[in-house]
Amino acid sequence: MGNLIWHEYARYVAITASIYGIWSGFWGLFYRKFFWDFVGGVMRDPGGFQAPPSAAIFVTLIIRAPIIQIITMIIAMFMVALDYPLPLFKALAIHRSLPLRVIVLVLQASFAILYYQGTNAAIWSLIAAGCYTRAIMLGETMAEAKENRGKGGRA
Amino acid sequence: MGETWFQREFLTGRRLAFNVIFYGLHFFFFGYGWHSQATNTRLAGLNSLGFSVWTSRGAGLVLAFDGGLILIPMLRNIIRVVRPKVQFLFPADENIWFHRQVAYSMAFWSMVHTTAHYVNFINVERTQIRKQSAQMIHYTQPGGITGHFMLLIMMLIYTTAHHKIRNQCFEAFWYTHHLAFFFMIGIYTHATGCFVRDSVNPDLIATFPFYSTRHCLGYLSWRFIIWPGILYFGERVYREYRARRATRLSKVLVHPSGAMELRIVKPSFKYTAGQWLFIQVPELSSFQWHPFTITSAPEDPYVSIHIRQVGDFTKALGDRLGVGPSVVAAMTTAAMKGSERKDVYTGSRGDFVEIDSSTSALGLPAVRIDGPYGAPAEDVFNCEVAILIGAGIGVTPFASILKHIWYRQKKGNLGTLRRVEFFWVCRDAPSFGWFQSLLQEVEAAQADPNFLRINVYLTQKIGEDMLWNIAVNDAGAEYDPLTLLRTRTMFGRPDWMTIYGRMHQVIESGQYLPGSKSQLKTKVGTYFCGPGVLAKAIKEACVHHSSSSVDFSFAKEHF
Repeated sequence: MGNLIWHEYARYVAITASIYGIWSGFWGLFYRKFFWDFVGGVMRDPGGFQAPPSAAIFVTLIIRAPIIQIITMIIAMFMVALDYPLPLFKALAIHRSLPLRVIVLVLQASFAILYYQGTNAAIWSLIAAGCYTRAIMLGETMAEAKENRGKGGRA
Repeated sequence: MGETWFQREFLTGRRLAFNVIFYGLHFFFFGYGWHSQATNTRLAGLNSLGFSVWTSRGAGLVLAFDGGLILIPMLRNIIRVVRPKVQFLFPADENIWFHRQVAYSMAFWSMVHTTAHYVNFINVERTQIRKQSAQMIHYTQPGGITGHFMLLIMMLIYTTAHHKIRNQCFEAFWYTHHLAFFFMIGIYTHATGCFVRDSVNPDLIATFPFYSTRHCLGYLSWRFIIWPGILYFGERVYREYRARRATRLSKVLVHPSGAMELRIVKPSFKYTAGQWLFIQVPELSSFQWHPFTITSAPEDPYVSIHIRQVGDFTKALGDRLGVGPSVVAAMTTAAMKGSERKDVYTGSRGDFVEIDSSTSALGLPAVRIDGPYGAPAEDVFNCEVAILIGAGIGVTPFASILKHIWYRQKKGNLGTLRRVEFFWVCRDAPSFGWFQSLLQEVEAAQADPNFLRINVYLTQKIGEDMLWNIAVNDAGAEYDPLTLLRTRTMFGRPDWMTIYGRMHQVIESGQYLPGSKSQLKTKVGTYFCGPGVLAKAIKEACVHHSSSSVDFSFAKEHF
């Protein structure tokens, strides 16, 4: 019973997850840690886990320079802008694309899962992506914003 | 137009008091938590982590406070009992509003607390003041596990509680909110891992609460905040027990306008006019409880509710009772037609139809009711003048109240109530036919023409035909052509400022209540049920026209 419109629900989850993504990426700039460093890593006292040489690329991209954190923040900001939405996006047709959101959210999750602060943001992003997928499966479509109505394909 | 955020939050006395006390307490707890951590010499090891640990401990104490508060506004039965005694102090009917304020604050402090802990744990790992990795603290220790689960549950609960989701799928909101059970378990056990300690390893013991307070130096806040949780759990058990007491659906009536009236007999169910209940039909769903306003008066031998088939649940219920949407749709069209060729002299619009349960193989379904729950309209009899305003479907509680007033009037026991002004604002009168027939009864029974005045406002745009119909039929007819009441229907939206201004004038000049002494303050209670925009306009009018001699009070009912 009840008639949940999945993409409207997914929107709230996506916004929450993405804002968490921005926040986690921001803290990731200052406290840099590769989340999966316990896999084959050595514990130093003091110093904590040191990732194994096989994970050198992540050490470069997360600890030497916070590239992955910054990428996550950019993706998450884009996601918030897309979903909130930013007035600019409202008029665009991609604003109404549900598959795009699934892709962006999965991408966001796969970046966020790599650094220490991003795990919850990653899990929540996957939940949001799941809800959007469910919306696509049910054939839901997003209505055009009011200002675009009647513009016939130009929106 | 409208007030600014600053005016609303800081320039109204009650709201200012709330803000100062509520947020003041939050900052006090934060400060105290911070201070007691930072100055505790036994926790010198943890304090070497610096600001982050002070912040997390402060925010943790605030969250414990919020966790203790969050369930209090949901103790519906206790609130119903205490509300007459505490009404003067704070608006007990705004419990959901308070619940939301606590939740917002909880979300904010969770963010602070979690962020601080992310910093704590990475620093524990780097400095190795405990021989652990950050991941171990996050995902293998009770504090971390319960914390992450609580965050996930909060995310699910907050997102499904958005008013848009609640409106489109109440079930999603309703079921998800029950995750709160696990949330509360999480909050009470959050500290069992003994993170805050002065020993190297957690001092865990075999007996409850499974850690020793000699070395585990948390705030032990669960000892204080578990009580609302226990009370709430007890209340839910009690509600379940009460709902299972003998209840019988005795009659189903279908009104020509399409509303179903369920008459339920439950001897153990005691209520006052204007209250509401939860109904459950186990055959349709054994988990869902749906709120409805009671439309019978306490004096009636049964409890009745009127249900219009608009939602999923109500349509399914209609189908089950053999009066599915199609049947009712046919009846409604007939009734609508009837409203155009009505018999002006008898003033009747066709009677309701009783559903004969013997014809259907299934019989009437079992029902359970839970309640009653409070509503401000109980206080009608404490004022001298009651202004009852129902907008749209919001008239339903007034059915009970008007009936009740009518019973009391018959017994000559009206308390201080001297006059009743009833306003009914609706878009199209025919769809509320059942209410009209009730109003007719009440109106016809009036001995004193001045006691009850009914004002019907129709806000719907009327077509040319209807205009002519009204213009021709209305002149000189005994009954109003639209509502079939003696009272004339007015068109357009009521202008509350003028209405209240006029009320104020006539009360002050003594014309309204003959014999009332002008040095005494006249209490005029407004009881409103309907959409928020209207509530605001009426409240403004109330406040604007209150003076030393006339006191306009305002109460709003919630669905």
